[in-house]
Parts: sequence; C-alpha cells; structure tokens
Amino acid sequence: MSDRIERRLWLAAAPEDVWDVITGASWLADEVRFDLRPGGDAEFRTREETKTGWVEDAHSPAGSADGSGRLAFWWATDGDPATRVEVTLEPARGWDGPEGTRLRIIESRPLDVLDLVGTPLRRVGGASYGPALIAA
Amino acid sequence: MPDPQDPAGAVFGALSDPTRRALLAAIASQPHATATELAAELPISRQAVAKHLAALGDAGLIEHERTGREVHYRLTPEPLSDAVSWMAEVGGQWDQRLATLRRTLETR
Repeated sequence: MSDRIERRLWLAAAPEDVWDVITGASWLADEVRFDLRPGGDAEFRTREETKTGWVEDAHSPAGSADGSGRLAFWWATDGDPATRVEVTLEPARGWDGPEGTRLRIIESRPLDVLDLVGTPLRRVGGASYGPALIAA
Repeated sequence: MPDPQDPAGAVFGALSDPTRRALLAAIASQPHATATELAAELPISRQAVAKHLAALGDAGLIEHERTGREVHYRLTPEPLSDAVSWMAEVGGQWDQRLATLRRTLETR
C-alpha cells in the first residue's frame, strides 16, 4: 500500500534532451547533485530545504536500444520517510506527427514496513543502507 | 459538506483539478486569505477562483469565516488527512517542475 502521485506529459523534444534536463543541475531542485549509478548518492537543495537520497536505477535513453530511459531514485528531507520517484521516457510522436517524448513520473510513499528505508536518510549517506533495505 | 458515504471520493474529486490543487496550496501558505488575494496569486479570474473555492468547500477541504464584508478562507484540518495533504503538496510541486521542464525544452 502506498500513497502515489502520477503525472504524464508529452514533450516536443528528444528523450536524450529531456533526460539531460531532468538529471541536470537545476531541475529537481535549485542545486542537484546526482551520482547516476545504482546506489549512487543524491542531494537536492532548495532555498527552503535539502533532501538527500540515492539512485536505485538509471538508464539514459542515449544508451538504450529503443531510445527509452528510466530513472528511479529515493529522496527525503531530514526526519521524513523517504519517497520513491520513478521517471520513464519513451520516444513518441505528438498528435500532429512531430517526434517527441512521452514522460511519466510517479512519486510514491511506501507505507508499512518499507517506511524503514527512510530511517537511514536522517543523516547523509543513505546509499549505504537504502538499496539493501529495498532488496530485503 | 462532504458526502458522508464517500468522503475520500469527494476529496479526491476536488483534488483532481490542478487549479484547485494550486489554490489549496495558496490557501495553505496564507491562511485567512480572501478570494481576491488568492485570485491575485493565480493566473485565473476572480470568478473561476470563486467556483473552485466552492468546490473545495463542498469537499470539506476548506472553510470560510466572514469578517464584516470580507470572507476569509482556511484549510479544514480533518478531511485533509496526511495522505491527502501529501498528495496535494507533492502533486503541486510536480506540476510546477513539469511546467518548468516544458518551458526549458521549448526555449532551447
């Protein structure tokens, strides 16, 4: 059981270009640091807050056979349970034919036992705990 | 008042609209705002704000208080459960990020 938010959007840009923005230094927060490897650390700073987290999985569209991309990461503000964000990108034509990207974003807040994955994030260094707990 | 048979349905129905989520976020950030003050923050007309405020009120998400000629709005704590407020807040953040993403890609 989890609380979940989903958004879908078509963008008039190639998946590689969308990927560059969403994994870039200033989209998910004012200042983003992303180690795009499974277990890699992530940090998201805005004026109001800093979230820390880790990367679960990152597949750039540039490196995929069908041009699709997928990014999954976890983040949390200090003391809050971590939430999981999954972004998928697929090449798709718009209504009137132009090439573009279908983007889907899901942020979910796992409840029950998986809330444990939020606990290690109370200090920076969630990467050493998070993926192991997810696997468990 | 929320439908006593389906309070969650009424809440999610009211929150299904991005303008209403933005409005709810605006009310959360400035309790006791008037409809005119809220309309000034959002790119919609005073009439549209009034309509959305009525929908949020029907779902039991906000309540109002009359002071002289002015009506002030605030969130109702109970129906806005932890889950619903999380969805409103985080959903609103994604709406903003996606609008920024679209603008960024279109101006390339």
